[in-house]
Amino acid sequence: MNVREDYDLIVVGGGPAGQAACLALQDRLARVAVIDEQSRPGGQILRQPPRAFTVSNWQAGGTYRKLKAQLRAFETLSGVDWLGGRSVLDVRAEGDGWRVLVSDGAQVASLRTRRVLIAAGCYDMTTPLPGWTLPGVMSAGAVQAFVKSQRLTPGRRIALAGSHPLQLLVAEQIIEAGGEVPALAFAQSLQSALVQAARRPMTVLAHAPQLLKVLLGGLRLTASGCRIRFGDRPVEVVGEEQVQALRLASGAQIDCDAVALCFGFLPQSDLVRGMGLNVLQGRFGGWTAVHDPWMRSSRPGVYVAGETTGVKGAEAAGAEGALAGLAIALDEGLITSVEAERRARGPRRRRGRAIRFAELLDAIADPSVFLSQAQPADTILCRCEDVTQGAVDAAVATVETPNAVKLSTRCGMGPCQGRNCEHLLLQRMNSVEKAPQGFRARFPARPVRIGDLTA
Amino acid sequence: MRSRQGVVRGRPLSLQIDGRVIEAYEGETLAAAMLAVDARVFRRDTQDRPRGLFCNMGVCSECLVDVTQAGQPTRRLRACVTDVQADMVVSTTRAET
Ligand SMILES: Cc1cc2nc3c(=O)[nH]c(=O)nc-3n(C[C@H](O)[C@H](O)[C@H](O)COP(=O)(O)OP(=O)(O)OC[C@H]3O[C@@H](n4cnc5c(N)ncnc54)[C@H](O)[C@@H]3O)c2cc1C
Ligand code: FES
Repeated sequence: MNVREDYDLIVVGGGPAGQAACLALQDRLARVAVIDEQSRPGGQILRQPPRAFTVSNWQAGGTYRKLKAQLRAFETLSGVDWLGGRSVLDVRAEGDGWRVLVSDGAQVASLRTRRVLIAAGCYDMTTPLPGWTLPGVMSAGAVQAFVKSQRLTPGRRIALAGSHPLQLLVAEQIIEAGGEVPALAFAQSLQSALVQAARRPMTVLAHAPQLLKVLLGGLRLTASGCRIRFGDRPVEVVGEEQVQALRLASGAQIDCDAVALCFGFLPQSDLVRGMGLNVLQGRFGGWTAVHDPWMRSSRPGVYVAGETTGVKGAEAAGAEGALAGLAIALDEGLITSVEAERRARGPRRRRGRAIRFAELLDAIADPSVFLSQAQPADTILCRCEDVTQGAVDAAVATVETPNAVKLSTRCGMGPCQGRNCEHLLLQRMNSVEKAPQGFRARFPARPVRIGDLTA
Repeated sequence: MRSRQGVVRGRPLSLQIDGRVIEAYEGETLAAAMLAVDARVFRRDTQDRPRGLFCNMGVCSECLVDVTQAGQPTRRLRACVTDVQADMVVSTTRAET
């Protein structure tokens, strides 16, 4: 594998957004690298099996066809250094470019680049409840990635609970891989989901095939014996050394050895905020990177694309990646503004369409019914440092800022760098009407051995 | 539970987790190899409660374990983004968290 020390462009993230940017550049920029923590490109939606595996019919089905075609095209680009299995720890301004620190788990490399595209995607939003730190409780995305990429069901009986329709897909994938799904619970009522849909008739019509797929998936699940519940939220995960059951608000207790929570996603914002790019706070406490119509961030030479700019699905991510690629070509003087405008038309249209659908999905998947429920004070809110919701609430009542809460409780001091708890703290603070500002971004974005940094 | 349908895994190899020798396959992540043998506790917290992994995508750090490989210092690595290697020695029982 090629690793240079100097690049024209470093792309963080090899998902649909990062791939589309490279494809739009068509190998016209000489020194381009794509860095990703996963060993193979694909991003979260196409988490590929390891090279050492042979998998037949991987992610078959229409939903994935276009994405797989884009991935194959990306993998055949000759001018891109694929730096997989490497985590970006930090991106900082240096001279007229950027210094990017990268760890492969053993060594830390320091790369220079003139331009950066952050296409780091999103992650499952954590939602605390009693028992959610027991071994066997994980995010729905975690379960899905084990199934898609490692061909492993992380339990025999996996109960799903959440508010996001993605859990229907996850349930089908578990069953297909040989696992059982004893329950699938939506916190919201079916009626409220339908009302949200009815408010957006044009979007529903425009995306009828996708919605129909969701419905058919639900019907197949029901036919296979998986009971889908609505208006029933998870209240406790029961177990001693690991998950034994999931208790729902209706009183139902479901025997299982794993629980997957599916309440939606938050944009990856650690690098973006560490670089000092402008961000906006999302409704549930996450941060989205601000950009112009060409996906240029608030700092020159830095572009943002995909779910880093807000969670709106793979289609929008790909479209934004393409726009960022065109913008980079334009800013490098590789194409004229006339060509850029012409080639941007398709991606802009696709992005607009995808955003309308994402708005519909957001409304249907609204996790508020769950988030607005009070959890017992001894529920762990900050997983890294074992800080309870009660301890956080007590601090929120006496100090003004998230950083002050962090200092007095240790909430946010652990190795997740606040990714698991910052939004939860902000939700608590909003509820007592304090100004929403986040933790100060802290180095490194991913854990690394100190000795490897100084080596 | 490893799914057997439609998949041929990499060559088998063995590694050690808390003194127990387990079999895994080339290409597997350490997290997958551990879950496949029901090793679900990745650490104990400040009150000695068992803790599991959460995100399986490198963001939560709940899967941090001590990994020692020949000729290398022990590193605290995220099991979900670390590929298994033959003769890795893994420990989930670090005193401090
Ligand atoms: C776990 C999970 C499962 C999902 N499954 C589905 C699904 O089945 N269907 C669906 O429609 N949508 C799914 N989504 C939403 C999906 O992420 C998007 O639709 C799409 O993949 C977004 O593309 P992207 O290019 O913006 O980001 P991603 O595809 O997420 O790609 C971003 C990449 O950046 C890498 N990265 C981030 N930070 C760093 C760093 N510091 N260093 C190195 N690399 C880094 C990540 O490893 C990742 O591969 C899922 C999301 C998650 C989090
Ligand atoms: S399980 Fe979250 S970082 Fe590995």
